[in-house]
Amino acid sequence: MHAVPKLAACLLILAPLVPAQDGPGRKIPSVTLAPVPITTITRGKPGTVELQFRVGSGFHINSNTPKSEFLIPTALKLNAPTDIVVGKTTYPPGVDRSFPFAPDEKLSVYGGDFTLGVIVRPLAHVVPGKYALHGQLKYQACDNAACYPPKQLPVDFEVKVEKAKVVVHKKNPAQSPHAHN
Amino acid sequence: MKRDPVVIILVAMVVTIMLVFGFHMVRPSADQAALAGANLKGNMAPEFTLQSLDGKTVHLVDFRGKAVLLNFWATWCEPCKIEMPWFVELQKQYGPEGLQVVGIAMDDASQEDIAKFASNMGVNYPILIGKEAVGDAYGGVQFLPATFYIGRDGKVVDKVFGLKGRGEIEENIKKALAEGQAVQARR
Repeated sequence: MHAVPKLAACLLILAPLVPAQDGPGRKIPSVTLAPVPITTITRGKPGTVELQFRVGSGFHINSNTPKSEFLIPTALKLNAPTDIVVGKTTYPPGVDRSFPFAPDEKLSVYGGDFTLGVIVRPLAHVVPGKYALHGQLKYQACDNAACYPPKQLPVDFEVKVEKAKVVVHKKNPAQSPHAHN
Repeated sequence: MKRDPVVIILVAMVVTIMLVFGFHMVRPSADQAALAGANLKGNMAPEFTLQSLDGKTVHLVDFRGKAVLLNFWATWCEPCKIEMPWFVELQKQYGPEGLQVVGIAMDDASQEDIAKFASNMGVNYPILIGKEAVGDAYGGVQFLPATFYIGRDGKVVDKVFGLKGRGEIEENIKKALAEGQAVQARR
């Protein structure tokens, strides 16, 4: 019986978080970033951080390489701390889809889940520890009949920089000059 | 310690009300704009002064006596691109009867890019460089395309958000042409 009031309380608290309707009966498009696990990277060496995004149901965003010069590509921009170099971002290929508003035309889009890979390389002298990287994913979303102004999603994650592991090569005692038979 | 379920529900309700109130406090402009857009039908279309692509200053009132199809669009809006050839044809067809299509580009693109896009689309009607304040006056224009049909008397006959079929656009044009006929007759 105690579960009922708890459930009611949870529903009430979560009610405002239900996707908002903006304008005349339309949902606001949402692109979200899944929590990014901390990636451990050896200093002086590049590592890849994977960022998983989700486009809200019923919406699509342009891929990084849309088919028209006028369409706004999805693009990640990151600001790195000093001595952490942000390298190339790998974008997945877009999915070629046609939409009811242009059945004869294919657009290169992302919908549902997609993952970007970011190369991060701490310089060799970086002090080991956690470093935060911040940036934005710029995207422009549409549904089947309308498009929404470009938006920027904050992207924040951490990397853990560690020293290179020292590999100890054990010598074969048989080869030791001090080995005695 | 046993918690009273009534107290838990009351606390939850208070928190919910605070969250909802706070949520709406941070975005009053969007809601007010949407409300403004919803209330436009039957009222005078908000006046504006904007620059056209060819450098002219254009006021909405300049078109009084004509039915105006006011189309908010952007170069990045694919559905907008579908409508534009229809507007070109409809301007040719209904222009002699008193229709004036007017495009307002709600774009971050440069004026050159907007002009290039419009030229590629063969646009035969004025394209104005939009301002956020004008969009807000028309309800925020939170997504595109957004089209307002204005009668010859300057009143909003209808508003349509998102892409609709050519047939529906034509029907709205006919309504706008019919609206305020008396105004035209008096001129």
